[in-house]
Amino acid sequence: MSELAFLSVDAARTDDGFAPRAASPLARALAGAEGVGDLSLVGKLEVRGDVSELDVSDEVVRLTPTRALVLGGRETREQLRESGYFVLDLTAALAGLELEAGGEQVLRRLTELDLRALPAVGAVARVRTIVLRDGDRFRLFFPQEYGHYVVEVVLDAIAGLALESFPT
Amino acid sequence: MRLPPQPEERLDRTQRLTFTFEGESVEGFAGDTLGSALFAGGRRVFSRSFKYHRPRGLLCCSGQCPNCMMTVDGVPNVRVCAVPARDGARVEAQNVLGSLERDALAVTDKLGGPFTPVGFYYRTMIRPRRAWPLYEKFLRSVAGLGKVDPHGRHEGRYDTEHRRAEVLVIGGGRAGVAAAREHAASRREVVLVDDGNRLAGLQGETFEILAPARAIGIYEGGLVPVDAGRLLVRVRADRIVVATGTVEQPLVFPGNDLVGVMLPDGVRRLVRDWSLKPGERAVVVSADERGLEAEEHLRVAGVELAEVVDLRSRPLRQIAASGKGGRVKGVRLDGRDVACDLLVMSGGRQPAYSLLSQAGARVEYDSSRGIFVPTELPASVEAVGSVTGEVGSPAVPAASYDGAKGKCFVCICEDVTDKDVKRAIAEGFDSIELAKRYTTVTMGPCQGRLCHVPSIRLYARENETDEAAIGTTTARPPWSPVSLGVLAGRPHEPCKRTAIHHRHEEAGATMMWTGAWRRPHSYGADAGDEARHVHRALGVIDVSTLGKLLVEGPDAAAFLERLYPNRFADLKPGRIRYGVLGTDSGRIMDDGTIACLREGRYYVTTTSTGAEHVVEWFEWWNAVWQLDVEIADVTGALAAVNVAGPSARELLGRLCEEDVSNEALASLDVRELHLAGVPALVLRIGFVGELGYELHVPSPYAEYLWDTILERGADLDARPFGLEPQRILRLEKQHVLVGQDTDSESNVLEASMPWLVKWDKEDFVGKWALEHVRERGFRERLVGFEMENGAVPAEGGQVVLDGRSAGRVTSARWSAELGKAIGLAWVPPALAEEDAPLTIKIDGALERANVRLRPFFDPDGGRLRG
Repeated sequence: MSELAFLSVDAARTDDGFAPRAASPLARALAGAEGVGDLSLVGKLEVRGDVSELDVSDEVVRLTPTRALVLGGRETREQLRESGYFVLDLTAALAGLELEAGGEQVLRRLTELDLRALPAVGAVARVRTIVLRDGDRFRLFFPQEYGHYVVEVVLDAIAGLALESFPT
Repeated sequence: MRLPPQPEERLDRTQRLTFTFEGESVEGFAGDTLGSALFAGGRRVFSRSFKYHRPRGLLCCSGQCPNCMMTVDGVPNVRVCAVPARDGARVEAQNVLGSLERDALAVTDKLGGPFTPVGFYYRTMIRPRRAWPLYEKFLRSVAGLGKVDPHGRHEGRYDTEHRRAEVLVIGGGRAGVAAAREHAASRREVVLVDDGNRLAGLQGETFEILAPARAIGIYEGGLVPVDAGRLLVRVRADRIVVATGTVEQPLVFPGNDLVGVMLPDGVRRLVRDWSLKPGERAVVVSADERGLEAEEHLRVAGVELAEVVDLRSRPLRQIAASGKGGRVKGVRLDGRDVACDLLVMSGGRQPAYSLLSQAGARVEYDSSRGIFVPTELPASVEAVGSVTGEVGSPAVPAASYDGAKGKCFVCICEDVTDKDVKRAIAEGFDSIELAKRYTTVTMGPCQGRLCHVPSIRLYARENETDEAAIGTTTARPPWSPVSLGVLAGRPHEPCKRTAIHHRHEEAGATMMWTGAWRRPHSYGADAGDEARHVHRALGVIDVSTLGKLLVEGPDAAAFLERLYPNRFADLKPGRIRYGVLGTDSGRIMDDGTIACLREGRYYVTTTSTGAEHVVEWFEWWNAVWQLDVEIADVTGALAAVNVAGPSARELLGRLCEEDVSNEALASLDVRELHLAGVPALVLRIGFVGELGYELHVPSPYAEYLWDTILERGADLDARPFGLEPQRILRLEKQHVLVGQDTDSESNVLEASMPWLVKWDKEDFVGKWALEHVRERGFRERLVGFEMENGAVPAEGGQVVLDGRSAGRVTSARWSAELGKAIGLAWVPPALAEEDAPLTIKIDGALERANVRLRPFFDPDGGRLRG
């Protein structure tokens, strides 16, 4: 087994009559919701070391001078480990949520973070969250054990705002 | 009766609306407030006062004073003069016994004066003490500001919103709007907050408007909470512009609270905004041009002007209003009586500096104009408009006027009279801050808007000094009254669920809270049966809540060696050891297992509720020691399932190809395997006393693994078990639950785990403290006990020795497997011997028990290791 394989979602294998299926922690809470995407099974890596010049093709979110979140999978993980970085596969640890247009209004009800100055790490509905922004689109990454709860409060905020772009 | 349409009226006379007042239908127009519609319908008495139950009528018509507070749709203390009328609203009077016109509690005004002087509640009704509940009930029923229905259902929703802005402008008057436009023109992100509806018509502005909304205060970091009805907007601004304008001040004279005594702004709004005639015959007494401007509105409305007094050119010595049935009928001006049903008074305008003061501005008294003016503003705050002190040159009114008998109110919110203030001074409350607390002046709903300056002026006069020497009271939030619902907002209570949570619900589990986690208590009615099944066949429990850490690096072993009292330097790869974490003072803080995955890599588990604290603890010490160690919290990354029971090995063999025999995977071994195709850490650990394995897998596969275990283990009678059966099982083994059997004073020596401590280690966290415990001797011991009569004592129950409490029960359960009531208890060291008799109090009766120092079940651990 490879390094820390027990942490890697992509290390599962289909054989011996077994067919492992990975499930998102948000699947049930998001059932039927529109305008909110599930990024939970997207590859997420925490990289430790001097992350100022990470040479990877995936998206890099520098959290501190010595820590970064890289949205990448197995190849990037192995590449970074070979480069001497301490790499943790957080794919299973972090649930991910994507908010489309109207997301800013929703997030204003859930976080004190300055939405003009993202990416940032802070509390969203009291859950420590990494918040990324691309124009009107927001991506949130947070501990998967809070996943169902976070979706509940996001959908509740959407309902409170009665946003047309977020049918509930 | 409405006036003909006025040029600036806010009414849409084509749209009628209807609401009820005390069950009677009231009509109004769109654009009316509830108050203006009631006034149009002939209502003049809008409330009864706080203490004396005196009739009160419209005074300011701008939401500043308490005179129009009513209960609207069950919400008390709504200022109806400022709340837009709406169809179907249910408006009721408050603080009355009877009706607004005939309030039986008005007897307080006639007879209660001598018995209810300022601070009477500190001196009377205090004996006999046992009667206080009655006094309290009485006082609460006769005083106050409306009632909250204790059985009222929560209706609607309140939200909190967080907003960032480069510039926040508070106040939507001319100066505020101009400032907003100026900043917006410089391409700054501007938010303007205004408490009225006057900005509704603004078009094409490049700034955002929050209205009607009130700024509650200014806090550190530029935080300004804004009450926008059911929404609290927490604005953080780089720059705050305060344009809160001024507040018209009343004059202090006998009868100054009678219905028909109004401030100029009240008259202006009645006439200009709602086309209402405020009275028939008016007298105007004004210290500035404001009152004189009201003259014009009165003429437009066709009100007869009996007399107009400009105090700047004609100072008065005496002003006293007289009335009948609480309504003004005339006014005495320097001994001359003038009949009127409307008395417009203006004591000048006071800059509304409170928010500036909260922000840190200095406030100084301008003796020539009789006002307090903000100075020395903080760098990020500016003031514009009349709040800066641009109020012209008003006359400085007297602290109070006389001319007749009658109550002369300094504070109409709290019914504080000039006599009350004088009495407070005579009693020794000689500073304005003390007097505020004793008399409650400025502490009512207007928050000092109408009484702050008059009370300081009166205080200065009675102390024979000037207002500057008296100073002001500290300005504190809220600047405007705010409902508790708005402050509470939408509660967010984070809840953790394991990746298998929904399977537990589908299986009918009863869920319970453990910290922030939701966990299955049990799956059926009989937790004891669930526990027995683990002994008989195969139980499966979700233990994903365990804290899980990776400790990795060249110094990892040394790091753990320093943290734990036991040894890890000799822990071989593939092996597991139990550990208890202690604090510097030797107290137990958490426990768990430490598995050595390879040299320099350890996998540490913690209690379910202790994970975050342990991570912080590890990181803190790592920062202190500067060792070459990486610490990673992987709690959420990995789900964990414990399979336990005689058939556990058989099940494990069905999930993987590897050899899982007792020789290949012995007790306290750890292996990295693929289980049902999923990468897993397999730890052979037995918290519940049976052959068992903890299977740690990436959380997205947890549900799959759970399903597979139950499916592949169906013929082995694999069944889920919950937390309650687990607690029975671990108690049978006398396994300690940190936090349940230990508290903040417990240490491993007295908790009967001395074998954990390796005294020959050079050092570990808490070593000196444990050495001290060893030297001083034990004060108590944690032991097992078995009840003689099978009764189960309450957790927390007393261990009694010689009639005195000598210890406490920490855990107790009925074990169906053993047919006994068993438990753990802290007892005096002398009783910590096998078979020592204990006496435990159960429901008041003393019951006999015996100490058991070894596990109740499988004391030699044969099943666990077999």
